[in-house]
Amino acid sequence: MRSLLATVLAAYLIAAIHSILAFINKRRSVQRVAEWATVAGFILHTGALVADWVIDGHYPLFFLRETLSFLAWALVAVYALVLYRYKAQAVGAFCMPLVCALTFAALLANTGPSDAPASFSATRLFPIHTTLLIFSYAAFFIVFMASVMYLLQERELKLKTFGAIFHRLPSLSAVTELANTAAAVGLTLFTLGIVTGMVWSWARYGRIWHNDPKEIFAFLTWLLYLVLMLYRLTANWRARRAAWLGVVGFALVLCTLFVARFLGGYHVFGLNFWFLSYVDHSCRS
Amino acid sequence: MSIILVGVNHKTAPVEIRERLAFNDEACLDGLRRLVDGNVVREGLIVSTCNRVEILSATTTEQMETGAGRLAQFLDAAGELPSGYLNKHLYRHTNEEAVRHLFRVASSLDSMVVGEPQVLGQVRRAYSVAVEAGTAGRVLNRLVHHTFRVAKRVRNETGIAANAVSISYMAVELGKKIFDSLKGCTVLLIGAGEMAELSARHLINAGASQVLVVNRTEETARQMADEFGATTVPFDQLDKALSEADVVICSTGAPTYVLTEQHARRALERRRNRPTCFIDISVPRNIDPAVGNVPNVFLFDIDDLESVISSNIREREREAERAELIVQSEVMQFQQSLRLMDVGPTIGALREKLHEVARSEMARQRKRLGVLSTEQEAAIEALLMSTVNKISHPILNQLRRFYETTESDAGLPSKDIFDLEE
Repeated sequence: MRSLLATVLAAYLIAAIHSILAFINKRRSVQRVAEWATVAGFILHTGALVADWVIDGHYPLFFLRETLSFLAWALVAVYALVLYRYKAQAVGAFCMPLVCALTFAALLANTGPSDAPASFSATRLFPIHTTLLIFSYAAFFIVFMASVMYLLQERELKLKTFGAIFHRLPSLSAVTELANTAAAVGLTLFTLGIVTGMVWSWARYGRIWHNDPKEIFAFLTWLLYLVLMLYRLTANWRARRAAWLGVVGFALVLCTLFVARFLGGYHVFGLNFWFLSYVDHSCRS
Repeated sequence: MSIILVGVNHKTAPVEIRERLAFNDEACLDGLRRLVDGNVVREGLIVSTCNRVEILSATTTEQMETGAGRLAQFLDAAGELPSGYLNKHLYRHTNEEAVRHLFRVASSLDSMVVGEPQVLGQVRRAYSVAVEAGTAGRVLNRLVHHTFRVAKRVRNETGIAANAVSISYMAVELGKKIFDSLKGCTVLLIGAGEMAELSARHLINAGASQVLVVNRTEETARQMADEFGATTVPFDQLDKALSEADVVICSTGAPTYVLTEQHARRALERRRNRPTCFIDISVPRNIDPAVGNVPNVFLFDIDDLESVISSNIREREREAERAELIVQSEVMQFQQSLRLMDVGPTIGALREKLHEVARSEMARQRKRLGVLSTEQEAAIEALLMSTVNKISHPILNQLRRFYETTESDAGLPSKDIFDLEE
């Protein structure tokens, strides 16, 4: 389904370029092109994922290639929700280029041996575990973006020098609300994702904690977003510190998602990137 | 037809001259009726605002010079000035230049404050007076409607009217940047001043739901409160009022700080850290600059506002450059549509002439054909007309294209070739 994914990438590229142009020019007509291209790309992408599922016979979220593609898809879905609910078009100018990069990386990455995922897909819990987590990462990315937008604007308001970006970002209260909602949704999904993972692991290995880097990072991430939420709830609107947490939290998310892979451990499976030859070494144990 | 525009604006004439020339609606109506004689000056429209007095008119191409002179004379007379007195202040634009000038004026590119919204309304008004006077004809109707379209396009596609450029409006802009919408916001006025009042009015128009007024003299506070439907708050309850206010505008005549960091900290605590915007437009300042250090408090003094405004003006100027491009392309479009308008009647007359030739030939030969049924008669007529149309079609098209692409409307032989009279 590589050619379909390439078409998806083309649509996302159009969307990304137009989002950036709309961000710079503030033209509604350009923004409309960006939105239609996003929708078209999303529909095609959904098609590509379904096709993968049918052809490969396993839920299309296992290998790195699939993870990247799925993550891009989830990001677009979340961005569409943000656009629909908050009219925060500025998000697109930053979100869509990332989506393009992920899709492009997915195109480059190879698929691993096809027998490995079968044993994981046998139980329904595993795909649910991964899907929930991917969506929570997408939500955390929105928290990150909203936080950065908040910090940029707060800084300019305090310094009283309004740069070019200032006039193009949504208001402080809008980005705060966006960050709050996204953090709440993200934390909920993340928690559910971890719980399903634990249940699955219990059923398969008889234990819920393997002490591997990914789990440790995930736990730290979970803790940080929990603190962030509590902070937002109690010290209503002390938005600046919460925004910093949103930025740091995302760094942890990136660690959980990518860095943990390189540290090895129980969670390294389905990894088959061109520069990494060890596949599945730990999950066979 | 040619378009002429003659006038003065804030750049070419001092206010002493502009005020003498200014027309109110009645004078406009009257003046237009006198000016437009149907011969030299065919159509007319007067735009008169505090920054400009301009006469726009349409004349025949041959009488353009005479027409322009007539307009200048008319302005001299209107200002009760000696003939020729205005010459050094007047600008004169014809055809393409006149169209561009009008587009720029209506799009607020020629205004003192670029992007100000009033001028379009003034042009609209000028047009309705011209319509009433019956002096807006074929050319001006088309031109003015095109102008409205250009102004709308400029407004929608550029940010020339975005971002506040006046101190009183800055409160609204800052409020929107912080709270997204001012709906349901509470405004607190400390002290009474014209600027504070104006700001409060803008905030109310933008949706602020409650206005609180604090003043040392209760009398003044009550007066202001009555004007806005606001609530007065005694000075000793300032703390409570501060904790409720989303936007605070301070302009007292006090020589010292009225609000200190302590005030702000207490207020924020009671507000559970919801942000507040403090605007200090008094000199000497009434809000301690240290207030700006409190998290979630955004403090702006008069200099800050001025510097933001000047950056906003620069932003508008950048947008104005984009607006000029839009104007340029619209001018070209309009010129083309004008040329087509000119060519329309000529082509119509030509086609009519050809049909007439065909009909008269038919009439001459009709007798030889004997008795024909109605269908046969219609068929012959159709045959004749379609032959004429098919033969003339490429020629007429060529002619139309020629009109579209040539810059001037001189040197068109069609009328002479086909022996057409105008």
